[in-house]
Amino acid sequence: MSDVMKFEATTVETMEADTNRLHETAVKVGVDTWQDRVANQTPHCGFGEKGICCRICTMGPCRITPKSPKGICGATADTIAGRNYLRMAAAGAAAHSDHGRECVWKLYDASPDGNFHITDETKLLKLAEEWGVETEGRDIYEVGREVATLGLGEYGKITGTSRMISRANPERIRCWEENDLLPRAIDREVVTALHMTHVGCTADPVALVHAALKVGMADGWGGSMAGTEFSDIVYGTPMPKETEGNLGVLEKEYVNVICHGHDPAVAEMIVNASESPELISLAKEQGAKGINIVGLCCVANEMAMRHGIRMVGNYLQQENAILTGVVDAIVVDLQCIFPNIGPVSECFHTKFYTTSPIAQIPYSTYLPVTSANGGEVGYRIVKEAILNFKNRDEGKIFIPEHKRKAAIGYSCEGIKSRLDAVTNSHVDEELDTYKPLIDCVKAGVIRGAAAFVGCNNPKVRPDYSHIEIMKKLIANDIVVVATGCAAQAASKAGLLEKDAKFLCGEGLKRVCTLADIPPVLHMGSCVDISRMMLLATGIAKDWGIDVPQVPVVGCAPEWMSEKAVAIANYVVATGIDTYLGVYPQVQGSDKMMELITEGTRAMTGGGYYFYTNPDDLVNAIINGIEAKRAALGI
Amino acid sequence: MIGLFDRVFRGSDEMYARADEVLNAAIARHGTSKPIQLPDTAYNMACSLAYAGRKITNLGELREALDHIKTMMTREYRTTDVFSTGIATAMAGEVIEACLYIDNNTPYEGTPYHGHFSDAEVRELGVPLVTNDIPGFVVIINEAPSDEEAAEIIKGYQTRGIFVFLVGGIIDQAVRMGMNLGFAVRAVAVGPEIWAVSHVVSFCVRAAMIFGAIQPGDWDGFMDYTFWRLHAFVNPYAPVNDITLAMGAGGIAMGFPAITNDTRDMWRVPKTLIIQENTKDFIETSLEARDIKLKITKVDIPVAFSNAFEGEIVRRKDMHVDIDGSRVDCLEFVQTKQLTEVEDHQIELEGPDLDEIEPGSRMSVTMVVQVAGKNMSPDFESVIERKFHNFINCAEGIMHTGQRDMIRIRVSTDAYNAGFRLRHLGEILYAKVKSEYEAVVDKCQVKICSVPEKNKEIREMANVTFDKRDARLASLTDESVDVFYTCILCQSFSPSHVCIVTPERLGLCGAVSWLDAKATNELDPSGPCQIVTKNNPVDEQLGSYVDVDEAVNKYSHGALEHVTLYSLLQDPMTSCGCFECICGIEPFSNGVVIVNREHVGMTPLGMSFSEMASMTGGGVQTPGFMGHGKHFIASKKYLKAEGGCARIVWMPAALKEQVRERLNATAKQLYDIDDFTDMICDETITEDPEELLNYLAEKGHPVLEMEPFDL
Repeated sequence: MSDVMKFEATTVETMEADTNRLHETAVKVGVDTWQDRVANQTPHCGFGEKGICCRICTMGPCRITPKSPKGICGATADTIAGRNYLRMAAAGAAAHSDHGRECVWKLYDASPDGNFHITDETKLLKLAEEWGVETEGRDIYEVGREVATLGLGEYGKITGTSRMISRANPERIRCWEENDLLPRAIDREVVTALHMTHVGCTADPVALVHAALKVGMADGWGGSMAGTEFSDIVYGTPMPKETEGNLGVLEKEYVNVICHGHDPAVAEMIVNASESPELISLAKEQGAKGINIVGLCCVANEMAMRHGIRMVGNYLQQENAILTGVVDAIVVDLQCIFPNIGPVSECFHTKFYTTSPIAQIPYSTYLPVTSANGGEVGYRIVKEAILNFKNRDEGKIFIPEHKRKAAIGYSCEGIKSRLDAVTNSHVDEELDTYKPLIDCVKAGVIRGAAAFVGCNNPKVRPDYSHIEIMKKLIANDIVVVATGCAAQAASKAGLLEKDAKFLCGEGLKRVCTLADIPPVLHMGSCVDISRMMLLATGIAKDWGIDVPQVPVVGCAPEWMSEKAVAIANYVVATGIDTYLGVYPQVQGSDKMMELITEGTRAMTGGGYYFYTNPDDLVNAIINGIEAKRAALGI
Repeated sequence: MIGLFDRVFRGSDEMYARADEVLNAAIARHGTSKPIQLPDTAYNMACSLAYAGRKITNLGELREALDHIKTMMTREYRTTDVFSTGIATAMAGEVIEACLYIDNNTPYEGTPYHGHFSDAEVRELGVPLVTNDIPGFVVIINEAPSDEEAAEIIKGYQTRGIFVFLVGGIIDQAVRMGMNLGFAVRAVAVGPEIWAVSHVVSFCVRAAMIFGAIQPGDWDGFMDYTFWRLHAFVNPYAPVNDITLAMGAGGIAMGFPAITNDTRDMWRVPKTLIIQENTKDFIETSLEARDIKLKITKVDIPVAFSNAFEGEIVRRKDMHVDIDGSRVDCLEFVQTKQLTEVEDHQIELEGPDLDEIEPGSRMSVTMVVQVAGKNMSPDFESVIERKFHNFINCAEGIMHTGQRDMIRIRVSTDAYNAGFRLRHLGEILYAKVKSEYEAVVDKCQVKICSVPEKNKEIREMANVTFDKRDARLASLTDESVDVFYTCILCQSFSPSHVCIVTPERLGLCGAVSWLDAKATNELDPSGPCQIVTKNNPVDEQLGSYVDVDEAVNKYSHGALEHVTLYSLLQDPMTSCGCFECICGIEPFSNGVVIVNREHVGMTPLGMSFSEMASMTGGGVQTPGFMGHGKHFIASKKYLKAEGGCARIVWMPAALKEQVRERLNATAKQLYDIDDFTDMICDETITEDPEELLNYLAEKGHPVLEMEPFDL
């Protein structure tokens, strides 16, 4: 039983005050942080910002102005902006997919006595069945290796299209077939995109935007989905659990180790090592109370979702974490790691480890982690962190106290488990469906859903858009699902607490109470946006309509990375309108602006909307969802 | 298909229009200054009082309230608006019903309908709700598919202990089926029209005010209380029209799901609005929807067994046998034995059974329940034995009164014809004792004897034990024990109330004695009854202890800081709202008036039980008013700080009779006064404070010699 309680979200002002206080430390130790560099970089290059600077050959760089409307080769603003855009999408797809490939490799390398194991056999068997792999009477690791072989084949398959496509609803598959959007081998689509944008290749912005959708599909319905699926098999499928978020999870009296990046493999090794009794007693010998492993950026999301590991912060908090002066080691794998982590660590006792050939960074100790040596490297890092505990400089220590509880772990399986809990065994014949959610939407109790993704970006007030937009949506009975840095913004504000239901309209509040969920559902890291695609697809299938008809939208109010461009492309290709708070660098071409909004919408049913003002953005989302409801007659 | 929200909005418009018409007609006839007061409640127009914080006394104020109701019927397409509109619909329904009560306290007289519930009825349900003896409420609306099915569903809920409110067509069906309806059998025909549902809403919000101390106007407080603490749900049969749906929206806002068989323009909402086309499965679907888990004890007898039958009366003409302890040797008796002496579930009958006697005749029967267990203590014998009354009464067609060797059990002809025999009494006692006292009773056997000569011996044997127990009870004083107990059984309904149970002050509901609390503590060490030490007395005259303050502070979650055990004026003990009696200061005589829940009339304070009761309850401390059990009246600790029971100046005559013997004995011991009870005034003498004073003077009541209250 709960009593009426007043719920207060942590404000962005509070978070900013913490950041400012930590910046004082940075000034004291003589290191710059992102705030300083933003000031130095402003104003940004106008040509770059509008996407009309071409530097893909050494005849240039060429820039488009009213007086010089073409590059030396004759490329127009449309071509230049289009090529730049496609290159961003290709790089993003490459990053996600290569991360996904590493996850598949972990299954391939898994063995009962090795560093990596099969944790979710059910999920493996389901995927084996989906891919036609014989499972009857076979050793599970043998099945795993065969499925992994097929998974690795997805990256370089000679013929055919992505296997994951078969999971989509038939209307979607038809749309993709008709529009030539079925992705071939994942690597092939990335290579094609790079090839198309080489000097002297594709100049037609229509083809460039089409290729961006397709390379996006290779990511969302290929590499990213592999990242999610194979991670679940190897490390376990997330289910609802509790954790905490924000800088306050760092503990002064414990050895603090931060895992930062995206691929859970290294962090899993660190967590295993931290549970070793010898290391725990070593930590105590060194005067610490124990070992505190926390996550940062998407590795935080991965580890929190699976193990309840606490989340120290999102993208723009990586320097802040070290500035607390209590981080004994920061271990990174890949993606979204500031090169400046090196210089900041140098100002403290903090040890900085890089572990992937993909992300090699100056001022770090480079210990490449493989399936074979993972356990050993993890042990070494944790041990060195423990021995480093005594080297802290008391005068530099300041840990902001703020942290919030968070109910997380809402994978598709996790969400369905909560939906099963509100069915009635006397009327609902099937379990494991989205029908209870669909009924709520049809009746109007929930108006729709918004999927929040993406990064932090100092171009907008960091975290503010995420938090304020989410708050207004839930107040309007729109349920929010979130991944990546967006999910962590919600966590810092307290929106992942179940009591955040007190910020909701009565409809969503009641649903949260009955299903025992928070109004913002954390679905994982940024590769887990594939989970959102499966969620939207599942809803469409259980409802009997196509994805673009479902009152669901995507939203990335603070996006910044190339991965986000790849994501945005597969989200609209899947038929979901996507509301963006930051423009992609194509504004120098009206044609491109038209193509990525109305152009894709005509093809797939989904396109972008841009609103740099968060109030306008949230109102547009509400109106967009209500318009989809009206079209359905509900 | 018409949208769910549109249907609710349309229905609420209809309800408002109807209320508007009825009220305007009433005003045209009586004028705006005409008083309006629903009978026997301190919470007039409870729906408007609760949700809008409006105190309504006349038709003019009712008009303003209805205008306010209209403003609550907002029309955005959001659940917030639907909830507000739904509650406003119930409030408008209350306006329609209230107009029936202008100049008439019993508008439904001569009909099967109950209409408005009194505060006393709300309070009466406090204990069974807390103990989960009533695990929930259902409101059944409209006609069931057939008369037989109507009877089946009502009885189905009754046998599960669910309290049934009936509205509309199903009432006629129940009447046609000859069903026994009423508060006592927990199936109430509320009224013929949909607006009668407002009486149920009023019942619920008054429970929130009485037990939960939710303040009028605290919208969120009411929403939270009804959702979490009142396990109600609604079964509207098809066709569900817009106005019923709008009323349903109010119920859903309160947290009460609706389960219907209507499919036309009906929208499913999980756990909230459920379409169950198979009406035969309504009960199970509904219980699952409201998460009601039934406390089921499988009792192997040929008649139904449920709390709903507890209040049933078997009349002489309907009885097969009268087991009457006042005429022949009968008894019920719990005896502690060694584990080796008891064979579990052995039920032994010695002597003739029910089919060997003349129908309608009297019979001598004794029931000796022998229990054994590692944690069993003879102190628990009386605790267990006292529950036999409730256990046996739950069997349909069996009536039980009294205790020890003064019991009376009647078995109805219907129950006999269904196959009920003497050994089934043993089955009931075995099953219930084993399930309710599993922590102390490992083995249990029952010996039933119907041989009169043998029963005489058994009675003599038992009386030795009864005398010993009485001596032990008499020796149990607050001073003679080392610990008291908390009782927070009520906190599911009254979250900030804590009882402190002592040997001389039992729980205010009358249901938890010090021995009960001790047994409860042994049965469930982390349960509602926790040990309170008495090592740090502050003032023993007041009954003030540091330990007690710490306990109430802890268990009321900081709501209470100080509580005295024996004072009415200084930090009096709080109550949940389900107290048997309430006392209040009578200023002219410097005495106190006590009134029990059953008494419906006025008191010399110019307040009824309901009005006095509304001064306290819900864990609120109001010096000068205190809820308590009947048994406490004759305790030497009653108002000890203010001079004891000599302060009592007025009690209803019926209550006087119940406490007379013990109260006289206490007064004799404390003040050496004979027949003290006769000095106490009652309603047959006067309800007027001046005449009361005259009466006290005439009788030489000791209060007149006492110091004035130190107010």
